[in-house]
Amino acid sequence: MLRKLFHELSTLPKYIYVFAAITAFGLSIGIYRMYAGLGVTTNLSKAFPWGIWISFDLATVALSGGAFTLAALVYVLHFESLHSAVRPTVLAGLLGYSSVLVILLFDLGRWDRFYNVFLHPNFSSALLEVSWCIAAYSSILFYELSPVLLEKSRWRRFLPTIKKYTIPIVIAGVTLSTMHQSSLGTMFVIMSPRLHPLWYSMILPIFFLVSSLAAGISLVIAGATVSYWLFGRSLKIRILAKLGWFLPWILSFYVVLKFGELLIAGELDMLFSSGHYSVLFWAELIIGFFIPIAWFSFKRVRNSRILSMFGAFMIMGGVVLNRFDVTWFGMNPVDGETYSPHWMEVAILVGVVAGLITIYSLVAHYFPVYEETELYREPANTAPRLQEAPASGD
Amino acid sequence: MSHTFNTPRYGFLIDASKCIDCRTCMVSCSVENNVSMETTRIWIKETGVTGTFPDLSRYTVPYHCMHCVDPSCVSACTVGALQRTEDGIVKYDNDICIGCRYCMYACPFEVPNYEWDQQLPLVVKCDMCFSRLEEGQQPACAQTCPTGAIQFGKYEDMLALAHRMIEENPGKYVDHIYGEEENGGTATLYISPVPFEELGFPIAGTTSPAYSNRLVTEGTPLVAGAMLVGLSGAYLTIKNEKEEAEEERRLAEQTPVAAGEEDSHAS
Repeated sequence: MLRKLFHELSTLPKYIYVFAAITAFGLSIGIYRMYAGLGVTTNLSKAFPWGIWISFDLATVALSGGAFTLAALVYVLHFESLHSAVRPTVLAGLLGYSSVLVILLFDLGRWDRFYNVFLHPNFSSALLEVSWCIAAYSSILFYELSPVLLEKSRWRRFLPTIKKYTIPIVIAGVTLSTMHQSSLGTMFVIMSPRLHPLWYSMILPIFFLVSSLAAGISLVIAGATVSYWLFGRSLKIRILAKLGWFLPWILSFYVVLKFGELLIAGELDMLFSSGHYSVLFWAELIIGFFIPIAWFSFKRVRNSRILSMFGAFMIMGGVVLNRFDVTWFGMNPVDGETYSPHWMEVAILVGVVAGLITIYSLVAHYFPVYEETELYREPANTAPRLQEAPASGD
Repeated sequence: MSHTFNTPRYGFLIDASKCIDCRTCMVSCSVENNVSMETTRIWIKETGVTGTFPDLSRYTVPYHCMHCVDPSCVSACTVGALQRTEDGIVKYDNDICIGCRYCMYACPFEVPNYEWDQQLPLVVKCDMCFSRLEEGQQPACAQTCPTGAIQFGKYEDMLALAHRMIEENPGKYVDHIYGEEENGGTATLYISPVPFEELGFPIAGTTSPAYSNRLVTEGTPLVAGAMLVGLSGAYLTIKNEKEEAEEERRLAEQTPVAAGEEDSHAS
């Protein structure tokens, strides 16, 4: 038994060991943080009560937006040709959300009573909405992923039952995601005194939702290309091209909305007059939005793995920078105080990200995450039972 | 859902011209509420030394929770650990707080403090010494202030007193009661001989950000409901369309002539 395990471990790609070691280091720092409190292990202060962890959480949730975007496209709007992208995206989404929950637990001062979120809800709090939605949505992602984990096990007999309820569950999941992607923006609606006007807006929830659509699709495109190199498995270029086609539209919509909001709020003069805030603002828009809009308009780009991956990374960079701006760089300092993270904050974060990569690689190694042929059959099966009779023709 | 907010029952009137920076209020607050002097519920804001020698001046003023009529912290708190009482006191419940620190960012007056050096920290915030009020006493800071810079009483009385002091001492105070309008009104009121910005007070609007927050969060269930209906509708519509198209295609394969007629009719 033990020899079998050792043999199994030796067949794994070597990079997994490196990431597992980093994870172990990060998590042990995390346990120290739980024990020692926030003062010794972080640089958080009265002026900056939230730090790099919250910025990371917001960025991760935005990138994990691919899971609900794809679910909506494939299951609700019937873009069945995109189906083979669903599994890797849902896995990435589930791991993304799990890491957010882990980091949030490290971030809570009273992590010992996190359950009060469920026992004492305050329904006017955007953060409550976010935490409820993320908890519920993580379970839904797990449900969506469960066929992958069960397909080759003896629990296979549950598959028909699971597939029967897939559509209602997916619709609930898409709704929950829309809610919390936007609620993450709502969280900052109450911070009008603190957040710089270049980012503050009453419609932050809409900005967050729209940019998460673009970031999520980009993660699918980039992830497919990276796994092409790592595992030799990937999505068909035709599917990536189709996904890439959506990007200029989503990004342009965001840009129009963003400048429209600044115009109506009368804040256009701040675009060039706010010092480093202006620089950050333009960096975010040029890297994440302007260049990619042009980039993905070319058919040649969308049809090339490497070129579309390049564009996808730019979008992800821009959206991640946006989340960091809203949570950290764009916050007006109080009494001249600024924030930069403690090394332990960074170590815990790196550990969690390494954990993500480790688990993703392991699941992709052992479970049929990338099996396209298997999946092309599925859309017909996932339809509710009642409609099965007419569909049996094919 | 409509929200009505009763005017506060009690109020503070803090006079920056009378503060001598002795910090008795900080000590008495710390003793009364058993909090460390590092993270007190009350602290001193100041202008710093201004003017040119020999006409130097320096103003200080004690600063603590404003006890807003429509508090952002109460609206933001994930678990409802912050609540505004009937009397208008914004209270903090030690036993519920999960330490998310959203209140610290939400507060437009930068009031909530945090026990960063504790293993399991809590938020630190003025509660008007409500247990002393129940015994008919004044809050510790007001009771011990040697110069009368911190006064405490019925809110109406404090507001009237603030107006009277500004009127009766022309030129002594700037014509502004900080807290009368700020953030939709607060139970703590300030008068000062120098503009409040110079004391380092935040420039707050006249409506509480809690209002904008509620506008969005209370609309959420509606949006969620609409999304559920819309998505289900979209799913069923597209599904039906696809099935009909499939059916037509099949019919067309079986009876090509009939389908041809159908096509010309449609176009």
